[in-house]
Amino acid sequence: MSSMLEREIIQQRGFRNVGEPTPTGFQVAVRCPYYRGIWASLLEDVELTVDGERYGASAIRWTLGGQTYESERLFSTREVRWPFDEPALLTVTRPGGLEPGLHEVAVSVTWRWSYIPVEMQPTTCRAQRALVLVR
Amino acid sequence: MSPRPTSPRPTLGVSLYSYGGDYLVTMTLEDCLADVADMGATDVEILSDTHIPGYPNPDPAWIDHWHSLLERYRLTPTCYSSWLDTRLYRDRGLEAAEAQAILLRDVELAHRLGFRIVRPKIGVVSLDLAPDPIWRETVLGVLPKAEELDVRIAPEIHAPTPIRSAVVEGYLELVRETGTDHFGLLIDTGIFQAAERTATHSDAVYVFGDPEPALRERVEREMRKPLAVDPRELADVLPYVVHVHAKFWEMTDMLTDPHIPYAEIVTVLLEGGYTGSLSSEYEGARDLYRASDMLRRQQTMLRTLLDRGGEDG
Repeated sequence: MSSMLEREIIQQRGFRNVGEPTPTGFQVAVRCPYYRGIWASLLEDVELTVDGERYGASAIRWTLGGQTYESERLFSTREVRWPFDEPALLTVTRPGGLEPGLHEVAVSVTWRWSYIPVEMQPTTCRAQRALVLVR
Repeated sequence: MSPRPTSPRPTLGVSLYSYGGDYLVTMTLEDCLADVADMGATDVEILSDTHIPGYPNPDPAWIDHWHSLLERYRLTPTCYSSWLDTRLYRDRGLEAAEAQAILLRDVELAHRLGFRIVRPKIGVVSLDLAPDPIWRETVLGVLPKAEELDVRIAPEIHAPTPIRSAVVEGYLELVRETGTDHFGLLIDTGIFQAAERTATHSDAVYVFGDPEPALRERVEREMRKPLAVDPRELADVLPYVVHVHAKFWEMTDMLTDPHIPYAEIVTVLLEGGYTGSLSSEYEGARDLYRASDMLRRQQTMLRTLLDRGGEDG
């Protein structure tokens, strides 16, 4: 059975620093922005912005189905899915992590829709949301 | 006027695509099915990639659960909507053999879930939505299994593709050549849109291609324009139509559709003896709880139109 999702693309649940005892980075969970789950090979790009600091695809690692991938590696897989009901956990290295408190988070995901003329591709979805980081 | 309940007529269903904003946010899969049953619809359509946890390899326990839900809510599974992602890989197009494996997997899974129709959304190669030429070999390769399992394969005819088009002609040619009755058309009634769309489209949250603002505005304007196919043209291909998406973006408080001429469409369906499903496909604003309301409005309108025999009453 599937668990429920937050309505927003960017999920509050999952936003945290990683690394003990001193944080080495942070994580944010992002649900598949399409109305369907997709094969990860359809992905073309990802960008994350936190409080104005931008992180491109090469700075982002993805965790899906318990496995972690560099973006480029993920985009060239054959059998990995980004299911509709499983937010991807995006991890960014940032020594010291983020300060506890409110952060303005934005994400942009780009992927290919095969049934839209190539002249209007790829498709991008942007979302932003203020998230509270507890620790 | 007297209803004609005895003559065979279309059945009413809902595509769970309609619940795009609510699904897994305010509603579970069971909530969606309960809602469909509650509004009196008898048929349900799903999206393979969305509504099957663990797709394409769901847990057998989930498949049992699915069947128990269908039984509990007395719903008939109609169309299993899937995708042939011809651009699946960055560096090359999908090959026919790969597409066959995908479609075969979907036909078999659809069958296990009780569906009798599979709609592969086929990748396109032109602005007027010509399907990737691999579609033919793909379908021909899967047809024997589809016939064995009694599952019909039905590509979708969707705006901006009209009925009188090379796309439709190509599909019908395959039917004529093979004589199969397990390949047909899925008609999305958006092609009959007669007035410029004023309501929000659920895809408005996406940027298609170049994000340049002036270009986006032009694309957005184009997407609002009606294709305005004459519903009477549907009669020409109706014998090949296996499923209908009753598309809508909005219903008024008077239970009318401001964009799509349903009275005319229902008349053609009744006159042509269509007995497949009219599957409501709400594609408007994804505000929470809106789909349930909009679906009920459209289902009421369709029910009324069917009861009074279309436009002339």
